[in-house]
Amino acid sequence: MLLEVRDLHVEFHTRDGVAHAVNGVDYGVEAGETLAVLGESGSGKSVTAQAIMGILDMPPGRITAGEVLFKGQDLLKLKEKDRRRIRGAELAMIFQDALSALNPVLTVGDQLGEMFTVHRGMSRRDARARAVELMDRVRIPGAKERAGQYPHQFSGGMRQRIMIAMAMALEPALIIADEPTTALDVTVQAQVMDLLAELQREYRMGLVLITHDLGVVADVADRIAVMYAGRIVESAPVHDLYKAPAHPYTRGLLNSVPRLDRKGRELDAIKGLPPSLLHIPSGCPFHPRCPMVQDVCRTDVPPLYDVTESDADRGSACHFWRECLRG
Amino acid sequence: MGRYVIRRLLQMIPVFIGATLLIFLMVNVMGDPVAGLCGERQCDPATAAQLKREFGLDKPVWRQYLTYMGNVFTGDFGTAFNGQKVTELMGTAFPVTIRLTVVAIVLEIVLGIALGVLTGLRRGRPVDTGVLLLTLVVISVPTFVTGLLLQLLLGVEWGWIKPSVSAYATVDELIVPGLVLASVSLAYVTRLTRTSLAENRRADYVRTAIAKGLPRRRVVVRHLLRNSLIPVVTFIGTDVGALMGGAIVTERIFNIHGVGYQLYQGILRQNTQTVVGFVTVLVLVFLAANLLVDLLYAVLDPRIRYA
Amino acid sequence: MPEQPYEPERAVAGTGMGGQMDLAASEATTVEEAPGGPSGGPSGGPEGTGPREKARSLWSDAWHDLRRNPVFLGSALVILFLVVIAVRPSLIASGNPLQCDLARAQDGSRSGHPFGFDGQGCDVYTRTVHGARTSVTVGVLATLGVALLGSVLGGLAGFFGGVWDAVLSRITDIFFAIPVVLGGLVLLSVVTSNTVWPVIGFMVLLGWPQISRIARGSVITAKQHDYVQAARALGASDARLLLRHIAPNAVAPVIVVATIALGTYISLEATLSYLGVGLKPPTVSWGIDISAASPYIRNAPHALLWPSGALAITVLAFIMLGDAVRDALDPKLR
Repeated sequence: MLLEVRDLHVEFHTRDGVAHAVNGVDYGVEAGETLAVLGESGSGKSVTAQAIMGILDMPPGRITAGEVLFKGQDLLKLKEKDRRRIRGAELAMIFQDALSALNPVLTVGDQLGEMFTVHRGMSRRDARARAVELMDRVRIPGAKERAGQYPHQFSGGMRQRIMIAMAMALEPALIIADEPTTALDVTVQAQVMDLLAELQREYRMGLVLITHDLGVVADVADRIAVMYAGRIVESAPVHDLYKAPAHPYTRGLLNSVPRLDRKGRELDAIKGLPPSLLHIPSGCPFHPRCPMVQDVCRTDVPPLYDVTESDADRGSACHFWRECLRG
Repeated sequence: MGRYVIRRLLQMIPVFIGATLLIFLMVNVMGDPVAGLCGERQCDPATAAQLKREFGLDKPVWRQYLTYMGNVFTGDFGTAFNGQKVTELMGTAFPVTIRLTVVAIVLEIVLGIALGVLTGLRRGRPVDTGVLLLTLVVISVPTFVTGLLLQLLLGVEWGWIKPSVSAYATVDELIVPGLVLASVSLAYVTRLTRTSLAENRRADYVRTAIAKGLPRRRVVVRHLLRNSLIPVVTFIGTDVGALMGGAIVTERIFNIHGVGYQLYQGILRQNTQTVVGFVTVLVLVFLAANLLVDLLYAVLDPRIRYA
Repeated sequence: MPEQPYEPERAVAGTGMGGQMDLAASEATTVEEAPGGPSGGPSGGPEGTGPREKARSLWSDAWHDLRRNPVFLGSALVILFLVVIAVRPSLIASGNPLQCDLARAQDGSRSGHPFGFDGQGCDVYTRTVHGARTSVTVGVLATLGVALLGSVLGGLAGFFGGVWDAVLSRITDIFFAIPVVLGGLVLLSVVTSNTVWPVIGFMVLLGWPQISRIARGSVITAKQHDYVQAARALGASDARLLLRHIAPNAVAPVIVVATIALGTYISLEATLSYLGVGLKPPTVSWGIDISAASPYIRNAPHALLWPSGALAITVLAFIMLGDAVRDALDPKLR
């Protein structure tokens, strides 16, 4: 396993109390594999990613338990100095909004080149040459000239390509992409996603793709982990999950996407709102919104059951996953 | 960039005309311009009328303004009460005040930014709270009180400095007066730097810089500070005018014979030519400083440059 | 004295504060309790925001904070005390501030005269207490004038834009180009009246552009809010838009800056009096007393220190009050 998150717990101390953002997340990614982490905002998917990268704001954030094993080494136990060497070089991240994620007052060439001067000790001239190569690699036209430009002079799609180039710069083993296409126009989304997938295959990187967009997931992901209220509620290979979800929340997500083959039928939105992280419901956190709710759901927290009906490695945190699978 | 500079220059013209006209009106409408010309005595009506004709003061104010500005641009600022050319007065006064202001600005930049960074990166720690309280005290106590107290303590009681500055006004003599002049602005710069750092500390691009695996020092200096100092630079630039104006108080406390002293004398003796002349130059200095800030701003923030 | 009394950029930056109007009610509260808020990225939205019933309005939220803020309570208490003694100084100082005895000039404190005597032999305690009235009057009236003039001019310019806005912006630039103390010297040196009005008038004349800039900025920000656009689309008149929808949202930064400016006006009055162009005796004011005490600061520092202390505490109280209000209104900095 390239990356393995085990029983991760993260909380935030706010004025109104302790927010439990991540409550025992487990997931793993192999080299060359794409794991999609799916969930609404507030489900803890971004916080988990930040905990893995070590860029969580602490305080107010606090990692209270768990391990983040990267190539077998627990990142959470490393000294900051050693973690810094891994960050960017072996473990990189792509952010959602490239305009705010890139430094507005430095040229993109400088920001790309910085990876090489800092991690590889290259001269500024060599670093600049590498930066231009990278921009070429992510297919930015006129890379040589544009390396001297500032982020605000690029279009949204081009900026996200620069973010990708920056993450790719040192050919890391794993990239975490946090909603990489959400801020983009629909037409550009596909191009950027294809580029990311292409580079991932080429370099055999692990990719954690954080998204709330089911459409993006189907094409590129190998596995899906669905998060709700800071927990993994379902984890499965992408096709199994699409064919037959084993958790009512996943089913709700799938049913809320318009599909051509169900034209004319009403969409089933999941009723209610995601829970407040300050007051997570007892038992199964999804029970107030669940159409299949039973008494046991209100009292007992469901573990991630091994879903054995298919051959693949698959789990669901629903007491009634069998009923759910049967539809 | 070139067009940006030209646009800023053009925008300065109405401001310059407006500000000087305003001062011209204040002095001419409110005061009696010939009152100071007859020494201590009241001018008798005939002499007054004669003098007014002589100086063209019987013409409408806008004519007077035009004539005056015309003269100014040929380097003629008129004559002071004692028959000295106003330009001569300026020649002795401005170097002193410029030295004082430069000392003040250097202190403001060095101390203000250093303290701001110190507190901004250690928010909530004792050093932060301490410096923050100190800045509040400095802002609350009027500059002239700070000045008088420092003069009393350092100059009279402890004898570290001479209580009043010599006619040469050398830089080392001007350090304490410069500190007094800069004190309030210094406190603002500290607070502004601190707030700006705090706002930018959580910015996405800082997070990116950390995610890139950059050393903390580099994240702070190259990414965080570079962005956070933009508003600070703006403040310091616009503050130049305020410092020059504030120099009147400081120069009075430490008996420095600079611009403030000359202006003060000019106003006491109702000498229009001196007052308008000096204020005109001060406004010019202020505008030049603002232009400099705009240029610096464009250098620091490419979003402005290419707007 | 700096021309812009207080961190102008911050005040302007604070103009984006959400609205307390019904439509925007939830927006105001979201930022603070977002564990993943800053981390989740802009459109990821604040993660973990509670259900809707928790939404509080901007002002009630600010008030909720302020009531628990010792800085706010302390400075409010000081200001309350000042106002009381400004209205009825005889409550704590029964003497006559103008009754002086040259024989006691520069004497130190003694029973019944805790602060000692000044150079004219006047009781420093009585004069310091009575000086509060002048300082508070000047500060309050100048601030009211500046705030009214500035927000009306700036607000209208921001709302209507176009030529008026351009003209007003240039006029503000002109006023900013004249250092305050300098303008005070020139304008006030010819005034012979010994009332507080010329000083107040001068402060309003040179002070309004500062507020006008802020009011203009916050009106422009408020104008762009969706619900204002919606109200406009529904056919609300300009007057109704301005008064009902924009003003309530734009007023917060003006209040903050005006509160802080109040402190600096009090300080400015003292500075002008020190330069001999501010208030004039027999008006009793801290500025006049400090100025009068400065020549013999060596022999009788107490005559300078007590009114200075009173002045500093007053200015400090207003600045800290403004600071606390701003922090409460601007959840971004938490």
